Amino acid sequence: MITTVTLNPAIDREYFVDKHEVMQNKFIYDSEDLKIYPGGKGLISAVNFKALGYKDVQNIGFIGGKQGLFFEKMVQKYDVISNYIHTDSEIRNNVKIIGKDPATYTQFNDYTFHVEKEEVEELLIRFKRSISESNYILISGSLPDGVDFDIYRRLIEIAKEKDKTVMLQASGEALKLALEAGPDIVAPYFKHHKSILDVEIESREEYIKMGREIQNRGAKYVMIPFHCDRLLFDQKGDVYQLSPKDYCIVNWLGASDAYNTAFLDYIFKNSFDFLEANLHAGAAALWISENREIYLESRDDYRHCLERLKIEKLEV
Amino acid sequence: MSRVRKYMIRTMNSVSPDDSIDKVIKNMYKSELSVLPVVDHQNIFIGTIYSNNILKNIIPESFGFIDSSRLFYEVNEAVENLKYVKDEKVEKYMSKNRDAVRESSNMKKIAEMMLENKESLLFVVNDKGYLRGFIERSQLLHYLLDEATEEEERK
Repeated sequence: MITTVTLNPAIDREYFVDKHEVMQNKFIYDSEDLKIYPGGKGLISAVNFKALGYKDVQNIGFIGGKQGLFFEKMVQKYDVISNYIHTDSEIRNNVKIIGKDPATYTQFNDYTFHVEKEEVEELLIRFKRSISESNYILISGSLPDGVDFDIYRRLIEIAKEKDKTVMLQASGEALKLALEAGPDIVAPYFKHHKSILDVEIESREEYIKMGREIQNRGAKYVMIPFHCDRLLFDQKGDVYQLSPKDYCIVNWLGASDAYNTAFLDYIFKNSFDFLEANLHAGAAALWISENREIYLESRDDYRHCLERLKIEKLEV
Repeated sequence: MSRVRKYMIRTMNSVSPDDSIDKVIKNMYKSELSVLPVVDHQNIFIGTIYSNNILKNIIPESFGFIDSSRLFYEVNEAVENLKYVKDEKVEKYMSKNRDAVRESSNMKKIAEMMLENKESLLFVVNDKGYLRGFIERSQLLHYLLDEATEEEERK
């Protein structure tokens, strides 16, 4: 059983129009021009794991209201085991409008979802009993309103009590507090913050310094996105840079979730080889970003991307 | 041969024997389910809690036979009883050792079980007894429709 955690899920709705203009009514008649799918970093990874052939994959988190029930129905379509605490508040809708000519991308990000304290406590109880069958836990994504920043730390503490390996993708205060619980693999992200651990970072040296700081605060391995590259920090203190070449990025959505999936997939299918796992992860992310896809479909799709990736050890 | 895993709903929404009836009622209402699986601290299926079991305990004597003249009185009594019952534990009201079916079970067997035992919903476990989800009559009908279509196509 693979466990992924999504605390702030959303129903993502993509509208494809010829031209996106304000104050103009648009009519969509072709179902190809309207995509509705369940979103949330952990869930996307769960769907990816199913596509790669894993039998049991569960997604734990909150869903709320009638839209939450709709979300759960959509999750069922992917054969992912839903394991949600149902909340009173309705979950989010993210609306994306993609214009063809001129090419435009307009996004309305909904952050209205609210979770009550008793629902958070219920999640912790459910999480504790539901991870019995999992060796690896993937925790990723943002937090809904009402959930304290220490939630990831509390989840990791429960996982560690049960001797589980935890991969965490988080940002801001939630990341900072989570490090106290000693997650095994950490991938910070910068959706809402241009800083890590409250420090603004710009140059590669600053990124490296913060990677090491994340390790000093509790993480064993760190992978930091650095523009289109990744900086990799292994347990021996060595630092590497993973870089793609000859690429054309058309889509970011789902790339980091594919990265997380393929990283763990490599470990499940082989052994814990940090650099090799990152190479495969990079290939999966590259395939997503070049193909307008959100979910992975098969390993064969992204295997050919491996030849366009290189890992270089940095002298630091 | 069609297996349960092809038609089942995959969910681990559940309660534990230590949970309160208050929590069960809220869960049932929000998840729109009137039956929930009861699992132990490892997520192994150990029983079932039915909304009917809770109702029977708050309207003990006339459950199922409420006539309109007594309805108001019965509802008030149920509300009063629920004030006590809501803080009690699931363990007291759950049905233990209920039959669960395996993901690998043949759908034909499920049809028999549902029709013979008049069960509208059966919980699904894996070979080790861990909860995996449930299967209900709408999925059974879906399976039967698939069988009927296949048979017609063969002819």
